[in-house]
Amino acid sequence: MATFQRHRLTPWLLLSPQLAIVAIFFFWPAFQAVIQAFYVQDPFGLGRAFVAFENFTRVLGSAEYYRALGTTVTFSISVALGAMALALLLAVLADRVIKGAHGYKTLLIWPYAVAPAVAGVLWVFMLDPELGLVSAWLGAMGIDWNHQLNGGQAMALVIMASIWKQMSYNFVFFLAGLQAIPKSLLEAAAIDNAGPWRRFWTITFPLLSPTSFFLLVMNSVYAFFETFGTIDATTAGGPGGATRTLVYKVYEDGFIGYDLGSSAAQSVLLMLLVGLLTLLQFRYLERKVQY
Amino acid sequence: MRYRRPGLDIASHVLLILALIAFCLPVWLAITAATHDQAALYTGTAPLWFGDQGLDNFRAILSEPVARLGTDVARLLFNSTVMALGIACGKIVIAILAAYAIVFFRFPLRRLCFWLIFITLMLPVEVRIMPTYKIAADLNLLNSYAGLILPLIASATATFLFRQFYMTVPPDLLEAARVDGAGPWRFLKDILLPLSKTNIAALFVIMFLYGWNQYLWPLLITTESDYMTIVVSLKRLLSSADNLVPWQAVMATALLAMLPPVAVIVLMQRYFVKGLVDAEK
Amino acid sequence: MATLSLDALSKTYPNGVTALHGVDLIIDDGELVVVVGPSGCGKSTLLRMLAGLESISSGELAIDGRRVNDLEPAQRDIAMVFQNYALYPHMSVADNMGYALKNQGVPRAERRRKVEETARLIGLEDLLDRRPKQLSGGQRQRVAMGRAIVREPKVFLFDEPLSNLDAKLRVQMRIEIRRLQKRLGVTAVYVTHDQVEAMTLADRLVVMNGGHIEQVGTPMHLYDQPASRFVASFIGSPSMNFIEARHADGVLTLPCGTHLPLRDGSPAEIGDAVCLGVRPEHLVQVSHSDDTTLVTEVELVEPLGADTLAHVRLDGQAELLVARLDGAQHIAEGERLYLRPDPERLHLFDPQEGHRLAAPETAS
Repeated sequence: MATFQRHRLTPWLLLSPQLAIVAIFFFWPAFQAVIQAFYVQDPFGLGRAFVAFENFTRVLGSAEYYRALGTTVTFSISVALGAMALALLLAVLADRVIKGAHGYKTLLIWPYAVAPAVAGVLWVFMLDPELGLVSAWLGAMGIDWNHQLNGGQAMALVIMASIWKQMSYNFVFFLAGLQAIPKSLLEAAAIDNAGPWRRFWTITFPLLSPTSFFLLVMNSVYAFFETFGTIDATTAGGPGGATRTLVYKVYEDGFIGYDLGSSAAQSVLLMLLVGLLTLLQFRYLERKVQY
Repeated sequence: MRYRRPGLDIASHVLLILALIAFCLPVWLAITAATHDQAALYTGTAPLWFGDQGLDNFRAILSEPVARLGTDVARLLFNSTVMALGIACGKIVIAILAAYAIVFFRFPLRRLCFWLIFITLMLPVEVRIMPTYKIAADLNLLNSYAGLILPLIASATATFLFRQFYMTVPPDLLEAARVDGAGPWRFLKDILLPLSKTNIAALFVIMFLYGWNQYLWPLLITTESDYMTIVVSLKRLLSSADNLVPWQAVMATALLAMLPPVAVIVLMQRYFVKGLVDAEK
Repeated sequence: MATLSLDALSKTYPNGVTALHGVDLIIDDGELVVVVGPSGCGKSTLLRMLAGLESISSGELAIDGRRVNDLEPAQRDIAMVFQNYALYPHMSVADNMGYALKNQGVPRAERRRKVEETARLIGLEDLLDRRPKQLSGGQRQRVAMGRAIVREPKVFLFDEPLSNLDAKLRVQMRIEIRRLQKRLGVTAVYVTHDQVEAMTLADRLVVMNGGHIEQVGTPMHLYDQPASRFVASFIGSPSMNFIEARHADGVLTLPCGTHLPLRDGSPAEIGDAVCLGVRPEHLVQVSHSDDTTLVTEVELVEPLGADTLAHVRLDGQAELLVARLDGAQHIAEGERLYLRPDPERLHLFDPQEGHRLAAPETAS
């Protein structure tokens, strides 16, 4: 790479805004979170006491935390797999028809622009137990829908709303991935007497694996963090904690329960978890699943 | 292509159109609900067709203070716009500069700076929300546009994308510019920025959406309705302890909350897709 | 208009690799010097050090007597033509050519005048408003040239500027570069790995190998008197033939039994073993064999039209020899061929070190 030499001050000048913002709003808070996790603070913010790992043992010893972990895993896997499977199906269909693929893309892309919280509100309205249209249809089929009381249905609601928003992101990538597969490969497979079903599973699907892996990581991150808005606007973690994910619990314990030590300890645990996930992603970035 | 089967093509179109209808249904219902008055909505299930109260509903929320919000929705739209533009422009500017330093200069501690910046890709604001809130409070940033914007431009996604792009610029170009007497600032202004136009547009779309759609951070940092964003306001409208939910106002607000980002994505689709797909590489 | 002096220029990269080991060279005013060598020989590094794009590890570089080691490229008053042209893709041809002038603060009107003048000189006047993307390879090459010319620099630097063009255009541009350089009278340094390009363009040729200069001289001098086996094999196409031989009393004995008397008898520095070099064009076909001819068998024939190249096998020689014969002649594979090395044109090299041993003087 060609570079500018003999300029000592300029790069620092260029970097300083980013470094300042990152230092103030990223490293300092992250550092604070780690420190806070080892202290107990009284609710009035008057003093705090060092308690070593007590916050962590308290968090890791509570059934609540594992319940939230379980909820997070169920929710994330459902959202990631659901949004990807649906997107892949639609992308394969759109790729098949050639004529109109671009049109379908335009028509399917916009939910990505909708805020997670707004997506949640739209779905809450459709499934409102009193006047929701879809809940009325479900009632006609004998399903008594009330996500305000039924934990399973509340979970289903946030999952559906989250999938609805994320699907278009995946669709764009899968369609791009499909269109990048050389048609000659599929023609060769057709000459080798492979039908459409077999062609998909033996040629297309393996060749899409880099895209799929990337999307898996992105969808997990989405399900973990960005869906906070969806959950808060629709179920607020309820009913009875049925939709309380780890991120939601950090927020609830910190800002509603004012248990700063526990909230910080949970933040640190989350950071470790996400760090692990990201390490996976970076390893992937370095040596992609290649063909 | 002889191996294609026309029957499958028709089935594909049918399935796609069904999917499209399903995808549009939530928005369709929002539009129809926003055109009825509250009394009409509560007479049965949500209507599938339009009512005649649409204009009144929108006029009401845009011009008069809304019950649970303490302000009108026009103000919320303005706040959201400031925040989204602030985040998009702020991120793009600092990212252009930082990526430029990292790619086109060699200096001591360059690798360290690189890692300090890119490690932020790992941890979204949701994870470090408490301490970030505390710092914002200490810096007197609660209930201010700076407070809405600054902490959210800490992440390095844009820097990462610009770095990826800069690395594809032929090294010859920099050398030619040096021989032609261009220093670092001239090269940035005359050569690099004009070449980055598409990337800047793509990033603008992505960052505008990111900023507009923020939820948790604006929820915490704005306690006064003067700085509330439209996305956050929806929950307040919904949370009815005693009264009936004013669905026509909620849906009208939701539609207004969707409109700008959806318009941006549809109008700038070309850049958006390019930006997304480039981000993967 | 300038002389360039290179005094013990060296380049060592931070990772410890030395790309250039002390290069000494004086380039005269208005001279076109071609630096040629295989890839990795350090020729591009040398050029980029002249341009100021690579720092100089040690040694002195002066333009017109002024030390320029630590000057930025733009302060050295040089212009460079890059291998990939390096045209700014978002600027028109005129803006590309005028960019350096703009950075120097030349007023717009004067810039325009100079750009137009240069464009006329190299036949670009109709293309000034186009973008590089809308130009053919040859036209882009011209713009790159124009960009260098318009600044009226002291020195032109060319970094393999023709390597991306097709063969026909390359010949045409080669001639044009030569003509322009002579007409403008600007000192020029031209780097290439193509020895034909090097021979045809150069006032003087610098052959580099492994970060050293092997030999400096006019193209014909290097052809006639290569200082080493490396230069001998690099200059001239097809490459020189080499035969390991024994020497005693002014007579070479080849492995096949042929005896070649040396013209000047037996100079003192020639030992027992020598490496004999004969160019393909100096192997003369004769009708019958005697003591001084090589008896060979034709393995492959390459007719080129005017000439025919015969790849022939010689007893006791692992590699095939190449002979350049008259194209009018019909030679068949498997045929026996008698070849006599021109006694005036024998080259002797040290078999280990590869340096030239006392030269049998050529007729020139």
